[in-house]
Amino acid sequence: MSVSGSESAASANKPKYSKFTQQELPACKPLLTPGIVIGAFSLIGIIFVPIGLASLSASQEIVELIDRYDEECVTASDKIGFIQDSKANKACTRKITVPKPMKGPIHVYYQLENFYQNHRRYVQSRSDQQLRDKDYKDPKAVAKACDPEATTGDGSLIVPCGLIAWSLFNDTYAFSVNKKSVTVNKKDIAWASDKNSKFGSNVFPVNFQKGGLIGGGNLNDKLPLSEQEDLIVWMRTAALPTFRKLYGRIETDIMASDEITVVIQNNYNTYSFGGTKAVVLSTASWIGGKNNFIGVAYVAVGGICLLLAMGFVVLYVVKPRALGDPAYLSWNKEAAEYSH
Amino acid sequence: LFKVATECSVVLCCRVAPLQKAGIVALIKNRTDDMTLAIGDGANDVSMIQMADVGVGINGQEGGQAVMASDFSMGQFRFLVPLLLVHGHWNYQRMGYMILYNFYKNATFVLVLFWYVLYTSFTLTTAITEWSSLLYTVLYTSLPTIVVGILDKDLSKSTLLAYPKLYGSGQRNEKYNLNLFVLNMLEALWQSLVVFYIPYFAYRQSTIGMSSLGDLWALASVIVVNMQLAMDIIRWNWIIHVFVWGTIAATVICLFVIDSIWVLPGYGAIYHIMGQGLFWLLLLIIVVTAMVPHFAIKAFSEHFVPSDIQIGREIEKFEALNQVNHSEIPMRTFS
Repeated sequence: MSVSGSESAASANKPKYSKFTQQELPACKPLLTPGIVIGAFSLIGIIFVPIGLASLSASQEIVELIDRYDEECVTASDKIGFIQDSKANKACTRKITVPKPMKGPIHVYYQLENFYQNHRRYVQSRSDQQLRDKDYKDPKAVAKACDPEATTGDGSLIVPCGLIAWSLFNDTYAFSVNKKSVTVNKKDIAWASDKNSKFGSNVFPVNFQKGGLIGGGNLNDKLPLSEQEDLIVWMRTAALPTFRKLYGRIETDIMASDEITVVIQNNYNTYSFGGTKAVVLSTASWIGGKNNFIGVAYVAVGGICLLLAMGFVVLYVVKPRALGDPAYLSWNKEAAEYSH
Repeated sequence: LFKVATECSVVLCCRVAPLQKAGIVALIKNRTDDMTLAIGDGANDVSMIQMADVGVGINGQEGGQAVMASDFSMGQFRFLVPLLLVHGHWNYQRMGYMILYNFYKNATFVLVLFWYVLYTSFTLTTAITEWSSLLYTVLYTSLPTIVVGILDKDLSKSTLLAYPKLYGSGQRNEKYNLNLFVLNMLEALWQSLVVFYIPYFAYRQSTIGMSSLGDLWALASVIVVNMQLAMDIIRWNWIIHVFVWGTIAATVICLFVIDSIWVLPGYGAIYHIMGQGLFWLLLLIIVVTAMVPHFAIKAFSEHFVPSDIQIGREIEKFEALNQVNHSEIPMRTFS
């Protein structure tokens, strides 16, 4: 739009027109009208409340039995001494009565509380290269990654190294229903991706738990790591200080009022740091474990949105405003007040 | 002199030497915190142009010295109108929003990491895998911000020229002020609490691993901050659509790629957790719950305490406006 100079100079100076450079791209300009606002809140409410109720009912159908046993399974007054004594008899029998029928497969978990698997030094104390490949023997890198559980006293490498493996959980449970023993299927409790790619099938435990401080369970030297499913499950570090890990599955159904007897080998030392242990039996559903929170949350949010929708309806009726009326521009409003 | 000048709406000075021109600008600039703009076309305007905060030079018959000393240059005096009313206004609105949004999106992310630290016995374990944390600023949330900062417009050129007083919104600090900043930070706080605690309560006594929960937190954070941006975008053209939705898709792809590297602890986590119905339920409720306050505040303030900009937007959408196609404002003559 310059007018200086001749016509050809003017057109030479003019930049090439494009919708992008002149900022004239076609665009939609959504605006929040009362209809859209009320519609959005109502839609959220109408969708969320049924989802919440469905989640609640799914969660109520799950049967979950939790039995905390660490306090009652150790009767000695020096609990830590008892646990650390390798010769003491650590068997403990617990009885659980089943309130509702449980359809198989019933998942058996061990639940630990106040155990910070997400502690920064703990989480880093592993060597994924070593777990996968037996030929990986870079001692400096391994020592750095797995410190302080990288080598034994005389300097030989530990496989699998690191604090996570060292603190392997080693309580065992033997179940019987109404005095008949049931087998716990301990196959396929770890992720298939871990078994196939993360833990090598040619890596065997070496020098494991041979040091002065015993942190947890032992490993079978003859089994490669890809078949040590308890270790694989344990090494998937948990996110929160109260967590469960899959122990196994009971494939049969259990009827209501059945009595389950659990014989626990109470080996794992949670007494030194004030942790608790529990055994959990739970049926499975699409929602995961028994948790009312998601259902309650959906119903709550849906309800609040419906309330907001009604609130906005009242506001729009009480204080309506014509959209796009120039009389509301601040200088027009001031002029209107001034002229009165 | 200053007091008299500030009482008038227009002051005419004639027969002024270049140094006096600069002195007039300095008089206003040094004694108030207003922005000053000087426009001139000749060599005698150079000192004035350099003294002002914004200097505009006219490339015309008196030569190019004014242009060389100026911040903006144009061909005619009348182009000052669109420069100020249209481009100046757009620039203010875009810059103000972008700065507030950048603070908000980083605060939301960092606060999620902060809440997690409370549950790791105060060791600084990152809730979200380190690669995702790095990529958050670089890839997951940067491109939509840049594109919206370049392309978004709150009002069209014709509206801004038809109602010149809309320029006053910039002068009154309506788009960037302490109240807006505090509101943004409160929204960041609320959304980070929602993103962190809804999965926390849902997964509290479960078998969830750190990498899986971290993936949920990362994806939820990215979607929430991009939804916030999406709610505030005024003008959706195809480029903005591509970048906003494309970034969310890119985030998902990156999460999959990161969790397919066997060396990293999160190997396989995203495949595992996305197969659970609970993951999708949580994602939906996190996004909606995080956005409800922002949506409600927006709906309330836009309808019941509308700013001039808001009225202008409604005028554009709902009323037929006499299109002002040329960048001029008819001069009012005295009757």
